[in-house]
Amino acid sequence: MLLLSLCSGGGLVKMQRAQTQTQYDAWPVLQDILTREGVARQHLNSYNEFIQRGLQSIIDEIGSIDIETVGTPYKVKFSKVKLKLPRVVEIDGSVSNILPLEARLRNLTYASPIFVDMTVEEDGIVRESQEQHIGDLPVMVKSDRCMLATMNPQQLVEVGEDPKDPGGYFIINGSERVIVGLEDLSPNKILVDYEKVGGVTNYKAKVYSSIVGYRAKLDITLKQDESIVVKLPSSPVDLPLVVVLRALGLETDKEIAQAVSLRPEIQDKLEVSFEKASEAKTTKDALMYIGNRVAHGMLDEFRLRRAESVLDWGLLPHLGKTKDDRYDKAIFLGEAVNKLIELRLGQIESDDKDHYGNKVIKFAGQMIADLFRTAFRNLARDMKYQLERTGQRRGLNVVGAAIRPGIITDKLNNAIATGNWGRGKVGVTQLLDRTNYLSTLSHLRRIQSPLSRSQPNFEARDLHATHFGRICPSETPEGSNCGLVKNLALSALISVSVPSAQVVAKLYDLGVKPFKEADERMKLDGCRVFVEGRFVGFVKDGDALARSFRKLRREGQIHPHAGVAFFDSPFEGGTKRVYIATNSGRVLRPLIICDSGRPTLAPDIIKRVEAGQLNWRDLVQMGVIELIDANEEENSLIAIDFKHLNEKNTHLEMYPSAILGIAASIIPYPEHNQSPRNTYESAMAKQSLGFPTPTYPFSTYVREHLLVYPQPPMVKTRSTSLLSLDERPTGQNAVVAVLSFEGYNIEDAIIFNKSAIDRGLARSIFYRLYEAEAKQYLGGMKDTFEVPRPEANIRGYRGEKYYRLIESDGVVMHEAQVGGGDVIIGRTSPPRFMEEYKEFEVKGPYRRDTSVGVRASENGVVDAVFLTENDEGGKMYKVRVRDMRVPEIGDKFASRHGQKGVIGLVVNQEDMPYTEDGIVPDVIINPHAFPSRMTAGQFLESLAGKVSAIRGKPVDGTAFTGEGSESLEQSLKEAGYSPTGREVMYDGRTGRKFAADIYIGVVFYQKLHHMVADKIHARARGQVQMLTKQPTEGRARGGGLRFGEMERDCLIAYGASMVLKDRLLDEADKTEVHVCEKCGLIAYYDAKQRKYVCRVDGDNARISTIVIAYAFKLLLQEMMSLNIAPRLTVKDKV
Amino acid sequence: MVSIDVIESSPSRLRVRLGGVDRAYANAIRRIAISEVPTMAIDDVVILENSSVMFDELVSHRLGLIPLKTDLDRYNLPEDCDCKNALGCPKCRVLLVLDAEATDRILTVSSGDLISEDPESKPVSDIIPIVKLAPGQKIKLEAYARLGKGSEHAKWQPTSVSTLIETAKPDEFELCIESVGSLSAPEIFARAIQRIQQSLTEIAAQIKA
Ligand SMILES: [Zn+2]
Repeated sequence: MLLLSLCSGGGLVKMQRAQTQTQYDAWPVLQDILTREGVARQHLNSYNEFIQRGLQSIIDEIGSIDIETVGTPYKVKFSKVKLKLPRVVEIDGSVSNILPLEARLRNLTYASPIFVDMTVEEDGIVRESQEQHIGDLPVMVKSDRCMLATMNPQQLVEVGEDPKDPGGYFIINGSERVIVGLEDLSPNKILVDYEKVGGVTNYKAKVYSSIVGYRAKLDITLKQDESIVVKLPSSPVDLPLVVVLRALGLETDKEIAQAVSLRPEIQDKLEVSFEKASEAKTTKDALMYIGNRVAHGMLDEFRLRRAESVLDWGLLPHLGKTKDDRYDKAIFLGEAVNKLIELRLGQIESDDKDHYGNKVIKFAGQMIADLFRTAFRNLARDMKYQLERTGQRRGLNVVGAAIRPGIITDKLNNAIATGNWGRGKVGVTQLLDRTNYLSTLSHLRRIQSPLSRSQPNFEARDLHATHFGRICPSETPEGSNCGLVKNLALSALISVSVPSAQVVAKLYDLGVKPFKEADERMKLDGCRVFVEGRFVGFVKDGDALARSFRKLRREGQIHPHAGVAFFDSPFEGGTKRVYIATNSGRVLRPLIICDSGRPTLAPDIIKRVEAGQLNWRDLVQMGVIELIDANEEENSLIAIDFKHLNEKNTHLEMYPSAILGIAASIIPYPEHNQSPRNTYESAMAKQSLGFPTPTYPFSTYVREHLLVYPQPPMVKTRSTSLLSLDERPTGQNAVVAVLSFEGYNIEDAIIFNKSAIDRGLARSIFYRLYEAEAKQYLGGMKDTFEVPRPEANIRGYRGEKYYRLIESDGVVMHEAQVGGGDVIIGRTSPPRFMEEYKEFEVKGPYRRDTSVGVRASENGVVDAVFLTENDEGGKMYKVRVRDMRVPEIGDKFASRHGQKGVIGLVVNQEDMPYTEDGIVPDVIINPHAFPSRMTAGQFLESLAGKVSAIRGKPVDGTAFTGEGSESLEQSLKEAGYSPTGREVMYDGRTGRKFAADIYIGVVFYQKLHHMVADKIHARARGQVQMLTKQPTEGRARGGGLRFGEMERDCLIAYGASMVLKDRLLDEADKTEVHVCEKCGLIAYYDAKQRKYVCRVDGDNARISTIVIAYAFKLLLQEMMSLNIAPRLTVKDKV
Repeated sequence: MVSIDVIESSPSRLRVRLGGVDRAYANAIRRIAISEVPTMAIDDVVILENSSVMFDELVSHRLGLIPLKTDLDRYNLPEDCDCKNALGCPKCRVLLVLDAEATDRILTVSSGDLISEDPESKPVSDIIPIVKLAPGQKIKLEAYARLGKGSEHAKWQPTSVSTLIETAKPDEFELCIESVGSLSAPEIFARAIQRIQQSLTEIAAQIKA
């Protein structure tokens, strides 16, 4: 390993002259953002917003339930909601607060009880008021409701937590679940587009109108015949536009036309629509028209009510749900139609669905809001039903009894535990990846697209210009999910929602005129202003408005997350629009504000940030940096770096390599690699073993790996220290020579030095957890932990030797050596069905052996035994077995450049090549790994690693800004090495000098979790499947190795018919069956009568016995079950 | 004519120029210095108590890698020892004990804490860290060291560097041996040559037979 190279490099360490450029470097600001906010900020913000506002607004939305009883009806009113601290209710009813560690150990759910103030009101008179428990809400670790949020690192250590754990996940029944960010189209935004279907072009405008926990889609279509129709979620048929507008209260044609536009060319396009709505002349007519469609055949009054509710609840609910909001809805609809017609006339471009400005990301808060809304509605409906059934008895006690908290608790728990969100949404949550620290971080910044992965969706998978600085260009899976699963860039921040009322007030101050007050001139060619999907009015100069808005924001008068974008059409005649976004889930990125060619973020301010005197929020308040969303970015001109900054630039990039995500940012010199290699490495880094958490003495993950001697990389990137990967490394620095070695490293295999392995290189520990719970059953029966005794009438007794390791309490001793099949938790259970023994058993009740044994193919040492109790009162053992994994032939390794390979040979040190200094490589890789893969980054890393060993300190290999090759070469030269990175080497076996100099340096290697010990498998004979009598499949079941169709083809081609018969019949599922020669159907042997019987031909049958595959017998019988009679014709062999 | 010029000689480092020697022979010395010259290293550990976070296998592995001062004249390789006992005898094994406990502050247990029954067979350095103990943690063990060869495990390698390089003249090589401290570099060199000699004698005897 490194030891050797450091020793012999000894006296030659010479300080590299300080980096020449005292360049403009805003890294400290970015560092401050990420360390202060943490990588899981987006989850925490989203969840906190939900518990602070969302929860209350969902409850207020229902407000109260009317209990209609025979006597006097009354009301149950819901008011203030309160979320208490996470707690557990034990089986005996005692309540105590819990911390995440306890939840993980005891398989509990980390959840808080929700209390709502409920009031009973009769005839408007308040009778009683009290807070009631309505259910439990899973608490996100490190959110505002989590007890860990306010603890300092020392306190976190004391409660058994990793101080570096980012939080942002839930603990459900003891397992950690993440709600992965879900990409979605922006809500409340009019998006216009056209589609060509069979030569017909349809123009469409879409709006996803959203309120907390609810979304209604509005579709407006401009058809081929120029008519415009509106599709609402609650209406089965399309409604004519003019009818809808009239129903909303715009009675006259003029009003309707003006709601769309004052421009004649646009109004002209409405003509057909007016014609189609000729039967509805008044608002009442229009409502009836809608009523006839949505509630056909009902009473007049009912139809009217339905029509009104369709408009109030189904149409644009974000604008409100009362009668008073209908005017706003009409104006909004008018604007949507205006935009649609402008698109039709070619005055504006269609909206780009893949533009990140048209997207938001939904995190835990929004996702749970969806669930909670339906769960709470179910609860209210259930309460109403129960209270109405209860009848006359009333009062809070009755109300309290009618609440079933399980409705909410179970719904939330089940959804988060399974990822099943209802309405076909699956895979919303995932088990938090704890392979190593980096994979945890990366998992928390992952984003999923709702688009189907089975469809091509080419454009949606492409990297879009607006991803720059928001989404990592490299980190995405290969294959079906490519481009659909994304990861946030280091610089990305997710917006929180900003109260829009204050923003609107500011706009009116800035000269925006509301629709009603605007004069005709303004309506005709003024700029339209929108705030969060609300059409708030007109302004003369939109560009100026946007600029003054930004000025206010920089002065701190407007929330920094509010975004403003001025849209001007590239074509003649398009309306100018200003969009102000205040919603949450937009991806923002910090940029340095520039003024006349100079960054306002002066170097001395950066120094103060570095010194800790200022933080990044101060910089936002000072107006020197700002957060920009993808729409606002379209109004900016951003200089890529300080060198390229000129007068025209509005902004300067903060730090170039911050465009990468977590996984890609640890690659040194990635800009020298072919791009797919960085993508491969981004995937592999998450499989490398390291130091996932320092809590391993109490961790109870089902599988966990630990690298014994993890090292921070010698060639680091700025993000390795930023992400604490120096303290939680994922690999080791190896001396790597590029050289072929007797063919044992062809096809990407790698050669390992045996002595390096002896000294601990790539040694890792694998932990597996075994778990057993003693359940209590109805009727007082229980599971017991004990050593099953053969004389105790136990079914499934395995044999004495399997129980030898367990002690009288039924569990193995700590540090015991265990192997496949050994029982480590002894347990017996009552019979599955009580009747079972009564009838047949003479000996009385038997018990079943339900002991837990070590997996057949594994072994190790018992590392830890935990005894706890879950909240159902069941005693529970968790036994952790550890197994030391010393690298062996077949184990998989990879550098940080997507160069993966398995060990092909382990070579003794004296046989390995050596340099003149006596350095013997740890790893030898094949030169053929480079020409086609073009991972020049690995060469640079190797070079830099060598320099690092010489200097005795890490080298910076950050993308775009890392130490360049000139400086590295210089350092090598000064230390007496060749600047090429090559050295004279000798063959250890012969002592002969190699003809060529060998490229050798230090490269960071990751051990990946695919190890031979977990995969090695062979079988001579073994178990077969019950149904087919063919050998089982898979290593875990001791299965056979499939002799497949292609293998079969080989034997046929070769003519090896006896081998074929041997494999496919004799050694597979050979059976003897009796066949009746007359009817050709299967007969059987009756043991009582001692004769062969055919059910068809009876005594006349002639039966012969044939040998066939059992699967074939099965086929015959399955066909018979389908009323097909497959007859076998049997003849004598001549 | 075979010639040996010593260029540099100290207990930790030996450089000699070998003239008139066949490359194969010279390289054999280099290879045997790595893999066939025995040294003393801990091979068997009986853990009596270990409440540290580092578990038994790892502590044992670390103990094994600590180089011990070796006197090859006083000890036998277990396979060559007359005792023929699986547990060994004072001629073929050395007992070292470690008993450490952290009371009020974090304690780094190092090689100096190993107490050997043979004061001559002790760690080459006292500051090699073994394990860190948090307050309240304790470690108590008996470690048995024996002679072994580098070919079996790297912990028995006497060398950190063993190179053979070409010089400007044909048939002349420079051999460099650096010691990890268990044996002096000149002794490693001498023992390596002895070992070759012994092998050659054995081969000669077998050919005759
Ligand atoms: Zn002996």
